[in-house]
Amino acid sequence: MKIVHLADSHLGFSGYNRLDEHGRNRMEERVYEGFDLAVEKIISLRPDAVVHAGDVFHHVRPKIRPLVVFQRGLQRLTDAGIPVIIISGNHDAPKSFSSSSPFLLFEGMKDVHIAQRYAYERFDLDDHAFHCIPFCLEPDEYLQEFGKIERSGRDVLVMHGLVESLRNKRLRTVGEHELKDSLLKRDFDYIALGHFHGQARVAENAWYSGSVEYFNFGEAGDQKGLLSVDLEDGEALSVEVRPKNMIDHPPVDCSGLSTEAIAEVLMELCDPQAVRDKLIRITLRNVSRAAFRRIDQVKLSRLGAEAIYLKVRPEFDDEKEERMERPADRFSLQQEFVDYLSQESREGRIAEAIRKEVAGYGSAVLEKAVAAKNTEVLDAPQ
Amino acid sequence: MAQEKIGGEFGAGILNKKSLTPENTTYRIISKSVSEYHFIVPFDLPDAERVEVGQIFSVKDYDQSSSRKLTFLARVLDVQHGSNYDGNWDTTIKGTQFFDRDQIFNRVIAEPLGCVRDGSFRKSRTIPTKFSPVSRAEQEEFQFLRQVMGDIEIGYLRNGSRLVEEIPVALHSDSMDHHMGVFATTGMGKSNFMKVFAASCMRLAARGKSKFGLLIVDPHGEYILGEGRKGTKGLVHLSRYSSSLACYSTDYKNCQMPQVEEFSISFSEIKPEDVALLYNWSPPQMDALEAISRTFDSDNWLDEIQDGEGLARMVREGFKESTIQVLVRRIKNLLEKNAYIKKRSSLPNILANLQNGNVVLVDIPRMSDRAELFLLSVLSRYVLEEYKKEASDGRKNCLITIEEAQRVLGQGSNTSRFESIAREGRKFGVGLCAITQQPKLIEKQLLSQFNTLVVMGLGDRNDRLQLEESAKQDLKSLDIEIQTLEKGEAVISTLGIPFPVPVSVHKYEHYLEHLKAEKAPEESLTSGPGFKPFLE
Repeated sequence: MKIVHLADSHLGFSGYNRLDEHGRNRMEERVYEGFDLAVEKIISLRPDAVVHAGDVFHHVRPKIRPLVVFQRGLQRLTDAGIPVIIISGNHDAPKSFSSSSPFLLFEGMKDVHIAQRYAYERFDLDDHAFHCIPFCLEPDEYLQEFGKIERSGRDVLVMHGLVESLRNKRLRTVGEHELKDSLLKRDFDYIALGHFHGQARVAENAWYSGSVEYFNFGEAGDQKGLLSVDLEDGEALSVEVRPKNMIDHPPVDCSGLSTEAIAEVLMELCDPQAVRDKLIRITLRNVSRAAFRRIDQVKLSRLGAEAIYLKVRPEFDDEKEERMERPADRFSLQQEFVDYLSQESREGRIAEAIRKEVAGYGSAVLEKAVAAKNTEVLDAPQ
Repeated sequence: MAQEKIGGEFGAGILNKKSLTPENTTYRIISKSVSEYHFIVPFDLPDAERVEVGQIFSVKDYDQSSSRKLTFLARVLDVQHGSNYDGNWDTTIKGTQFFDRDQIFNRVIAEPLGCVRDGSFRKSRTIPTKFSPVSRAEQEEFQFLRQVMGDIEIGYLRNGSRLVEEIPVALHSDSMDHHMGVFATTGMGKSNFMKVFAASCMRLAARGKSKFGLLIVDPHGEYILGEGRKGTKGLVHLSRYSSSLACYSTDYKNCQMPQVEEFSISFSEIKPEDVALLYNWSPPQMDALEAISRTFDSDNWLDEIQDGEGLARMVREGFKESTIQVLVRRIKNLLEKNAYIKKRSSLPNILANLQNGNVVLVDIPRMSDRAELFLLSVLSRYVLEEYKKEASDGRKNCLITIEEAQRVLGQGSNTSRFESIAREGRKFGVGLCAITQQPKLIEKQLLSQFNTLVVMGLGDRNDRLQLEESAKQDLKSLDIEIQTLEKGEAVISTLGIPFPVPVSVHKYEHYLEHLKAEKAPEESLTSGPGFKPFLE
């Protein structure tokens, strides 16, 4: 059996404030285009099934447009006779009573199987069992849900979250939606993962397909696309959907450069042909503050007119020393809060008797808020 | 005034009374020094009132008029027959009755635990006033001992053979980067103790209060699920705090559990000195092993030495071909036998869990002694090296447990790695928890670095002597107590608790129930019923 594995389409993601001639967000449009291209690519690959491992939509309450784009894609796939398996991810699973899952709209469609109920679901296609664990609210629930799996002998596991070994490597420790490595059992024919936006193999049989699009500069080094997987031998081939459109230029050392020289560097890097429809970041090291200030900002913004986004990031030569002298005190939010309360209570503004209780309650609330914020770090304001 | 000098109010009582009863002499401090209190009790007490070794008594040094308001707490070390007669009176027949009931008694020898002054408990630097009344310690007095207990609950305080359930004995997690020793002969409840200890650590970690990560390498396969045939349970059964437990196993069946990751180490994490542990090497072979690290790339030496080119390079270094062939053969053997050596590695995950203060269980059942040592060596070296690097924010210390520690910490053992953890680990926040049946085999100097000792019955006098000599607290006085320990009982000497404590260790299965039913402290404030969205 051959499947295509994709994830993290984030339909509805918009950003970078660039509009097209119809007044639509260019980044958002690009994401829709990418999804359409992915569907086309999948149809041309003629797999026996498609697995989308979470985060189809960027928001729990998507606008009509992403819903339509998704429905159109689903229809095309199923019309081509390709069944689709989908799980909800941290972005598109509701976390409050006020919202229902957007996937309710697509339930009941022929050949579309959706796991979105915070619980394990199994779908049997051909001779394989697809074990789906969608987004769950508490980390412990993944273990519980995993415990419900009964192996058929030919099994595929679909999950959404960051596996701990990947987290350790990337040194991202706070508030991530984490999956234990212990869930990546050897006896699955294939484990399709979503959440991490780069293509990555995290165990012999477990892969992140990555997203189709580049969403932020943290992903500049990632490979993107689909994975075409042969379940018989477990081989996963990377399939490119569209050329890379993110360029994070290596930092340019500008020590001693005049305004004109800096401008020249920028002009060179921002050739209109080269920047069209791209997301570009240029880092200037050791720039003289005075020289950079004299660059004409209007002209600078015109440089990136063809790009979806152009970010020039100056690191001024006088900044480094300042940083060396006074490293910023970074405490956790909870610690700051507790310190603030102690200070207030020392000065008699908060009664000592209730300080501890307030600190305990407040810290817990803050911790939850931070965790919630970090899981939706990509959320644009609605 | 003269009366005052003799003994205050009590002395006055003696002088004014015409006849005295035994109550006037028993249960009163009569001697002898700051480090040892004596009092006498009737020689024929009923069973319920018998004085036992280990019981705790309180000495009330009160005086209504003056400012004497101390309560001393003392623990019985020994009970002896005593009398006011000289010579062999108890075996000499004279007349119809050879003794007078008032003149014989039992002498109780007790050691001071400390004294309560102004509501706080501290070490005693003085002696109770002579004839101060002695009574069995009551709940109220035991409460003072609560003040000195830490946060890792182990069991209940033992008062003789009775339990004081109101006083849980708990170790201080602050002192856990110092080393810890668990000494017990087989069947005394060592693994039960370790499970209770780990469970308490999991509880702390789940509440975000953990100060160290605990690494347990279990060669007997008894911690993960307990032993089914004995009806015992394992750490996995503490599902309430499963978020702070990370399990790794080499056992296929155990790996089927969702929370258990397959244990593996990668080729590049093995160093020649780990291989050195596995066999008895001749001096030339040892030389060759040592030469490997300077001849080959340290990440790839296992591959390089196995091909012909590698052999040639070693020969060029001046080693005999036959020597190298033995080496290569043994290395091949090692790689074939130990299926957990792979491309991927669990070590970074293990390290991250330790640094986050979680409990890490590495389950390696049915592994040979040498293979286990090898694995332990790779694991502990990795951990120590990573801890030597600059500490990141919020990194927790770690405690590595070693079963049968006499193998690696004994005199003349060739496993200097563990010794180096024992000697320098503390600087980097790595502590050892050595578990052994024979402390006498452990080097004295190392033993003296252990600040927490858990003694669970040691029959061998030499074992006890070795411990007494190196313990931070005086265990000599507890010699009788240690000899008479029963299964599940322990004497714990640790920093933070000012005296060695007799403990009845919780039975893990009961503790499990207790932990499951326990109410979380913040429950009332923050965690309400969890959000479950409407599922249409």
